Amino acid sequence: MSDFIERSKFSCALGGALSTIAAIPRAVPIVHASGGCAAALSGTYNLSAGYRGVGYCGGNMIPTSNISQSNIVFGGEDKLVGQIESTIKYLKGDIYIVVTGCQTEMIGDDSVGIASRYREYNVIGANTPGFKGNTLRGYDEVLDVLIREIVEKTDKKDERTINLLGIVPGHDVFYRGNIAYIQELLSKVGIKVNTFFGDGESVEKIKSYGSAALTVVLSVTAGQLAAKTFETVHQIPYVTTELPIGPKASEKFLRFIGEKLGIEKKRIDTVVEEEIRYFYSYLERIVDVASDLDFQRYAVVITDSYYAYPITDFISEELGWIPHFVSVNDIHDREIQEQYRKKFEGLTSVTKPQVIFEDKVGQTAKKLRASWPYNNNQKYYDALGPLFVIGSVVERNLAAQYGAGFLSVAFPVSNRAVLNKGYAGFRGALSLTEDLLSNLVVAR
Amino acid sequence: MPKLLTENLKYNYLSADEPPVRDERVGGCIAYCGSCSSFQGDFKSGCAQAQNRKFSQSGGCQLGLALGIINSLSNVITIVHSPLGCCSGLAGMAGVRNSNRASRGLTTEDQTFIHTNMDELDVVNGGIDKLTRAILYADKEYHPEVIAIVNGCVPGIIGDDIDSVVRELEPQISARLVPVHCEGFKSRFVSSGYDAANHGILKYLIRDPKEYPQLTEDAQIKYDFAKKYRISKTVNIFNVGSNSNGDEVELSRLVSALGLIPRVVPLNASVDVLDHLGEAALNVSICATHDDYILGHLKERYGTEYILDVLPIGINCTNTWVRKIAAHFHLEKEAEKLIEQENKELKEAIAPFVEILKGKKIFVGGGETRILTTADFYHSIGMELVGVKAHNVDRFVENLLQDIDNPDLVVEVAAGQPAEELNVLSHLKPDIYIGHVGANGWVTKLGIPNIPLFGMNINYMGYSGAFELARRAARALKNTNFSKNISRYIGHPLTEEWMNLDPKDNMIQGDLF
Repeated sequence: MSDFIERSKFSCALGGALSTIAAIPRAVPIVHASGGCAAALSGTYNLSAGYRGVGYCGGNMIPTSNISQSNIVFGGEDKLVGQIESTIKYLKGDIYIVVTGCQTEMIGDDSVGIASRYREYNVIGANTPGFKGNTLRGYDEVLDVLIREIVEKTDKKDERTINLLGIVPGHDVFYRGNIAYIQELLSKVGIKVNTFFGDGESVEKIKSYGSAALTVVLSVTAGQLAAKTFETVHQIPYVTTELPIGPKASEKFLRFIGEKLGIEKKRIDTVVEEEIRYFYSYLERIVDVASDLDFQRYAVVITDSYYAYPITDFISEELGWIPHFVSVNDIHDREIQEQYRKKFEGLTSVTKPQVIFEDKVGQTAKKLRASWPYNNNQKYYDALGPLFVIGSVVERNLAAQYGAGFLSVAFPVSNRAVLNKGYAGFRGALSLTEDLLSNLVVAR
Repeated sequence: MPKLLTENLKYNYLSADEPPVRDERVGGCIAYCGSCSSFQGDFKSGCAQAQNRKFSQSGGCQLGLALGIINSLSNVITIVHSPLGCCSGLAGMAGVRNSNRASRGLTTEDQTFIHTNMDELDVVNGGIDKLTRAILYADKEYHPEVIAIVNGCVPGIIGDDIDSVVRELEPQISARLVPVHCEGFKSRFVSSGYDAANHGILKYLIRDPKEYPQLTEDAQIKYDFAKKYRISKTVNIFNVGSNSNGDEVELSRLVSALGLIPRVVPLNASVDVLDHLGEAALNVSICATHDDYILGHLKERYGTEYILDVLPIGINCTNTWVRKIAAHFHLEKEAEKLIEQENKELKEAIAPFVEILKGKKIFVGGGETRILTTADFYHSIGMELVGVKAHNVDRFVENLLQDIDNPDLVVEVAAGQPAEELNVLSHLKPDIYIGHVGANGWVTKLGIPNIPLFGMNINYMGYSGAFELARRAARALKNTNFSKNISRYIGHPLTEEWMNLDPKDNMIQGDLF
């Protein structure tokens, strides 16, 4: 049974569904729920995901059945029918996705069934009530129906094409930048990447995703369901790995995927060498300031599992910071927690971080405080500092309490505007370094 | 004025756990498109109130509005009893709360809130256990003065009794517990959320203040006299979520200028301030839609007279607002002197902006009373008012509607519904649009320059607010490249068929509630 959450960093399944739909080119959501759900949930990602905006048909533009009290008693299916029929007439879209709220699911409206009656108009439907799960669940439900209904079945697989999953639009505030960096990197070794949400994608292209040879999931909590659907419906196997940030992680990523697809080693060697040289030719610029100004930090990372390990890995393996404490808020399964914890054992830093799984913000702060010996007024005290907190905007005050450096990376991010920036790969890691270091010199 | 805007309205609901929704208590119209004269007729006959729309888009949720009030209180922890999505917007709001409070000179507080995170199992078994644990946790970990419990649709449908939990836990908890009933599906009027929050505040939060005994009889007598005098001069100004600190400073300035003592409540207030709410000679609303419920109840409880009339926006309406307050204290002469001086200064100050704005076409969208008063201001400085869009229309703006001298003015009634608005705007082609949060982005995509109606850093009310209204509109017209570029390269998702449709055809009579 789930517990209550203090300062949740997630929306609900419907919120995740809307955020995901907003990232699909020319996709129009149709929400079967009360009047407020759609605009409020869309607004969450507009304002708290680096101001990504409401997208093509988000915010209060979202067609909504606006069910009210009498529908709770008598049902709301008629209202949904009306909304679908008007939406396909009045809103331009390559695909229309019916998604549901708590109220209509509780009263038993058959929304997906109704949607399927309009299949010839490119209408599909998914059950996404808030009580079904968080943002990540909504992402999976939308992709699941796309993979089942829109992706066309084919036996011909292109050995050099992969489907990329796990980068949740909006929840990963940097999703477009990250997708672009990964796509660019893989294209250098001849791998084509189907991304759903990247530059130049379209519903037409999504139809052809069935010809990929492999699905790569960059998260243990998002995209797993969709990957299984690719496997069962389209016979495409999948692997799970991490979002690569920085040279070592990116090299590992390239070799891992390359091996799965049978890319020749020499080709990967060449790209890796080029990219490492590129990375360090730029990183050189901060060598003096980092060394002269004593910029090595104890790092605290408070994010979801999608970012926690990749970021800790980068600051430990490339920047040589000391990974002290990691708090992960989205893994509740004990077994997966243990698997996730094991990743950190491979870090080469002498100090390994304390890794906790906690979704109550106040408890995270308490455990961080307890992770270091108290100052009992002794004369010589080895303090936890200088410190840097990498988290979401929620951690800003925590960082301030420690006088620490601070960067918001994970959702929610409302203190930064994000356009095409990304942190993935060799080149994204330079952006991350820029942002970390800028925070340390910003007051100069 | 012909009659009190609250005539025949009752305020005796506090014995119930939750207030009646506005559909029952006030009524009104949520969907309309037509000319001002036809609207006035249809509103009188009741036809306007019976309209709904065929194609509809996402409007608002009363939970969000209730939270706007409750969550602003000092030292409060809000527990959202619902699945995660309800109020997920709070996730990134910590900074907004901090800058909001800092601008008022209040201590900054982390926005702590708890989600009961109801899942499928809770839908079947009920979420009361989880809620109980969350309340105990909030009290133990943070010792807040107030723990507010707001509920969403799911507990509403399965019948989780949050009031019983509150009654059960009250004796063992130091914080004041406030249940707020605001299930989104319950009302077609989002503003029901204001009543929900105010109901909770009135019923569970406001207590009679403690009196501290004086040391000597003499001191007690002096204290009593001073208090009586203070109360006789105190004016409670009821603020709304869209007020900036600038607005509150300006309205307080005007009340002070009459020799009265202003006190801005209830948003951002502490429980101590709320307890003393009854110690005032007059309660003044700045938005009837927002607070008729609380003013009516305070009159019942403390006998405090109230003024519920125009919003103090623009020159004419601010004048009226000042006159109404002054009249209560028989300060008519002082008021006229103040108004004369303020009007003279303001008109000189806005002259250069009026020069730019004169003759330009304007459209205003947002909450009912504010758009009509805002429109009146721009009209009064020589702009051509081509249309207004109100979230809803009820009895509180009947007077304002009657004052509109243009029978052909386009009146649209819709909360959200950007499709209808863009259709109307594409035909009216205003030079500038002024609208509520959520609308302006779409208007930019249509290519029309715009400014937001209100904002946390925007002074909008009183005379200084009128200056800002003129100044900001004139500034917007100095460079219109942004909306031009956006409409050219991005555009909106609506089809030709929709844009050519008469929005009246989207209205349906009496069905689909």
